[in-house]
Amino acid sequence: MVIQIVVTFGVLVLVLPGIYSSYKKKSLTPFGAVLWILLWMAGLILIWFPHLIDLIGSSLGVGRSIDAFVYLAIIFLLYSVLSQKIKINELSREITLLNRKIAIKKIEEDKK
Amino acid sequence: MKSNNNIYIVLPAYNEGKVIKEVITDIQKEGYKNIIVIDDGSSDNTYQEAKSTGVITLSHPINRGKGAATQTGIDAAKLLNADIIVTMDSDGQHSPKDIKKLIQPILDGKADVVVGSRMLNTKGMPQSRIIMNKIANIVTYIFFGILVSDSQSGFRAYNRKAYTNVYTYMDRYEFESEMLGQIKNAKLRIKEVPIKVIYTDYSKNKYKHMSRFSAQGLTNGVKMVIRLIENSLFK
Repeated sequence: MVIQIVVTFGVLVLVLPGIYSSYKKKSLTPFGAVLWILLWMAGLILIWFPHLIDLIGSSLGVGRSIDAFVYLAIIFLLYSVLSQKIKINELSREITLLNRKIAIKKIEEDKK
Repeated sequence: MKSNNNIYIVLPAYNEGKVIKEVITDIQKEGYKNIIVIDDGSSDNTYQEAKSTGVITLSHPINRGKGAATQTGIDAAKLLNADIIVTMDSDGQHSPKDIKKLIQPILDGKADVVVGSRMLNTKGMPQSRIIMNKIANIVTYIFFGILVSDSQSGFRAYNRKAYTNVYTYMDRYEFESEMLGQIKNAKLRIKEVPIKVIYTDYSKNKYKHMSRFSAQGLTNGVKMVIRLIENSLFK
């Protein structure tokens, strides 16, 4: 019971306001914000009613559905980390190129 | 000997305000007038000090690392139509007298790239530093398939064919290894010449943590390997 309360409290106090402020700062689209809220809500429902996981599992024909759930979560997280890493690398490269462009701008202009 | 008119000396500099002026003057005394300093987002007066000597001074608004600054310098020299580009450290550890040794094989048509090696004459170099350099050489060989005696040396000379065929993307120290890989892939002729390393109090203090097996030295090494692995995964 304690873990359910702690997680629910965390989601309500930290996660939801975080999503809202990201949406306000325009770093999340309305669709993105709704998707994140739905995801967290689904997580909360599953925490409060864990037997729902088994219901989903049995309807999908998976024996130990909690295992399948954990595996899917790991795959999702790995994918998420990888795509972020790629994006950060791209951004880092772009910052360097922009830096370079600014640095040699004068020489380029003098050449013209 | 061909005149030094179209030889460009590239000095990537980060927080070298205390020594940069002297380093530039020493290079000028050897007859090299074309010097490009790239201030890599320093928080001290490196830019002002370099600019006051009248050499070409470029500035990275944000610090991006020695690799990024060196490539910016090479790009600038390329725009200025350099025949030969020499890259040097800006902390005064390289002797400007060695520039002649570095460019000679290029002028003789015997090499496209010349690497100044501290490892061909290791007299005075701490044993731990020698071991660290050898490990870096092996790491470079593993990742890029090229074995040289001093893979981390920043004192190098490139002819036009070489500098138009290489372009590094790694921002920090690993770019020295990346560059060697590109030199190999472009089938450029590479030569190593022994260089002198000037261990001043300034450079000794700066590299204090790297001159022995300190935690920081080890951390830097591990970080370098991680970045090399990343580089082989993400393009």
